[in-house]
Amino acid sequence: MIKSKKANANPTKAFFVQMITRDIALEDCILDLIDNSIDGAWKLQGAPPMRLSDGTNLNKYLISIEAYPDRFSITDNCGGITLDDAADYAFTFGRTDAEPQEKYSIGVYGIGMKRAIFKMGRTIKIRSTYKKKKGGIESFAVPIEVTEWLGKPERENWDFDIDPDAALPKPGVDIHVTDLTDGTAAAFGNPSFIQKLRRTIARDYTLHLHQGLHIFVNGEKIDGWAVEMRSSKKFAAMRLTYRDKLQSGTVHVEILGGMAAPPPESADPDEKDEKESRSGWYVACNGRIVLASDKTSTSGWGTDDWPKWHPQYEGFIGLVLFSAEDAKLLPLTTTKRSVDNSSEVYRRAMPRMRELSKQWIAYTNVRKQTIEEAKELEEKAKPIAIFDVVQSKSAKFPALLPKPKRKLTTIAYGMSPSRVRSLATAFGDINMTNRNVGIKSFDYAYAELAEED
Amino acid sequence: MPSFDVVNYSLRANKAIQRSLVFEAVRVLQANMNLNDLIFVGLGSIWFADFQIAHKFLHLKDLISIEATEIGYRRAKFNRPFRTVSVKHGLSYDVLPDLLNQTKLTSRPWFLWLDYDGVLDEDKVEEFRNVIERLPPNSIFLTTFPATASKYGRPAQRPRRLRRLLGSVVPDDLSRDQCDDNHLSETLLNLTTDFMIAAAADSARPGGFVPAFRLAYMDSVPMVTVGGVLPPRGATGSVRGLVSSDQWPAVSPYPIITPPLTLKEVAVLQAQLPGDKRLTRKMVKKLGFDLAKEQIRAFEEYYLYYPIFAEITT
Repeated sequence: MIKSKKANANPTKAFFVQMITRDIALEDCILDLIDNSIDGAWKLQGAPPMRLSDGTNLNKYLISIEAYPDRFSITDNCGGITLDDAADYAFTFGRTDAEPQEKYSIGVYGIGMKRAIFKMGRTIKIRSTYKKKKGGIESFAVPIEVTEWLGKPERENWDFDIDPDAALPKPGVDIHVTDLTDGTAAAFGNPSFIQKLRRTIARDYTLHLHQGLHIFVNGEKIDGWAVEMRSSKKFAAMRLTYRDKLQSGTVHVEILGGMAAPPPESADPDEKDEKESRSGWYVACNGRIVLASDKTSTSGWGTDDWPKWHPQYEGFIGLVLFSAEDAKLLPLTTTKRSVDNSSEVYRRAMPRMRELSKQWIAYTNVRKQTIEEAKELEEKAKPIAIFDVVQSKSAKFPALLPKPKRKLTTIAYGMSPSRVRSLATAFGDINMTNRNVGIKSFDYAYAELAEED
Repeated sequence: MPSFDVVNYSLRANKAIQRSLVFEAVRVLQANMNLNDLIFVGLGSIWFADFQIAHKFLHLKDLISIEATEIGYRRAKFNRPFRTVSVKHGLSYDVLPDLLNQTKLTSRPWFLWLDYDGVLDEDKVEEFRNVIERLPPNSIFLTTFPATASKYGRPAQRPRRLRRLLGSVVPDDLSRDQCDDNHLSETLLNLTTDFMIAAAADSARPGGFVPAFRLAYMDSVPMVTVGGVLPPRGATGSVRGLVSSDQWPAVSPYPIITPPLTLKEVAVLQAQLPGDKRLTRKMVKKLGFDLAKEQIRAFEEYYLYYPIFAEITT
């Protein structure tokens, strides 16, 4: 009989690093770092509840990101990490129970910074300058050579060294990553990646940017999306708020939505443009958008009693804002790129989302049969910022009376895109939709060949 | 109407300068990257000016020309200057994928120059993406197309048109001013370069795309030439080093807008160059004639490549 022993179940560093970096996109890693900066700024502002119209001013905070094929850096003036936090929490893999949770924060799992820097490169330096409680400032740096750190015997602890460092110009954090991984270097050299990153930041931090936060990417300032709802006597967006009380706290929920833009004239996929692709449901947790322009079952489309998304519904935008003092109560996933469908808070919000979606679906169905009248009314509806939408338990859309349909037949044919553009140009608008090029060419041919004098 | 029915390609000074800069750049690449077995693929028309230089100057043997129209194809076949020039009939959009499926052609690097008469459109952009994804390692790819602002829609329509054409690399805040007559060449050079880098990165080409050609010139209409190198893994750094050198000829901040000059004017101007100071309009007036400031600068910049045309009478 053997003597009882213990089997070693400790994870290896290499496995751990590989595991935490594999399931997250590079772009989301950068957003995680921005979240940390914003959490710092939010704390300095006294951690007020995050609401759509709460008047918080983030104008004095600046986050600057530089992403190039040979280096990455993110620098902020959002207060910095304290030496105690660095020693006890900031570099642990995952949040410990002892770690205090910042109020109304976006960071939940205590993994964002480590995951981001390990994903990006192999030579890392994290610098922090912060105000001490008793006055004065203190600075330190945490240099990490990933290859060297991974090479240390597993039995040694996983600690990183903390060194004294020169002060940053203002209290804040400065993270530099070099010796980038091949994938990261390729992405940062790809203009398309950088443009998409700018667009994602403009969208996902639109609420913070609206509150005055400054974010720069490669020296270029990011302006937040202007999310607007069309409003008139006939059109009004829904805006309702309620508190969802859970055993461990309360989540404040705000649901807002309606017509952001008139629907397309046809459901032809060729007619989609960049603005239309903004349609769908958005979900924000403590101000950070985690689900954007969703048209899938995550936001209910195509689930029980709720039709699948169809291009006919373009023009609709719905926004759900969850905020809670304890971020663990929010329906966040670890990558903050979707919502946790199993969350009770989220599931309880969905029936209200469905009601709004169904109102829009009904409107777009009737609209097809009274298109001219609908377009006239839609034109009169003027855009207003979401912050100015008044409270209303449901949205308002015009009551249109369907008219008997004229029988129409459809003509379909394929044509080379460049020839269609040439004809569109000749008709006076190089960006004219394919559908309208078809209609205009028919009208032209009809007038020339078939119309009687 | 094909441009060869309108203009004799051999009599266009700015086009000739642009061509010289491109071929000189390719010769630098050839010398440093061991590219002696390049296959030259182009749209040769009936003049084969590029093909003449590719063979005589770069010593390339295998040359393929693509000609779209039936008459153009027959005339091109008749006019091909060397035995090893082959002419393919069809649109490059259709012919190139076939060529890129032939192992004997894809086992060697290409020097592909798509020199179009028509403005950038959906077919061309798709063609750029296809060739960037599929060209063999060490290939050189460049394209030339008109940058006539009015051909990209009315002023207010142009930013959206470019966004639709070139997709996500186009900044959301591309302005109407960036697409006007004075700035469109620059904008197209920037955005097309970005598109090419993104196409290589999106398809995970091991060596990526290194921008190496960036020239704007006036050839009755404004034209742009843009392109780069598709190095194999590990060679990107050395190619970048070559093309970022001050001596690299094919990236120029100055548009090639030299005026048509008489032999006498060329001789007088050349006699002042290279000078310690920049030539000024005042100095040219002193020489006995006059030119616009931009024309003087362009001549100074490119005088080494300025062609001399003469009519021979018997």
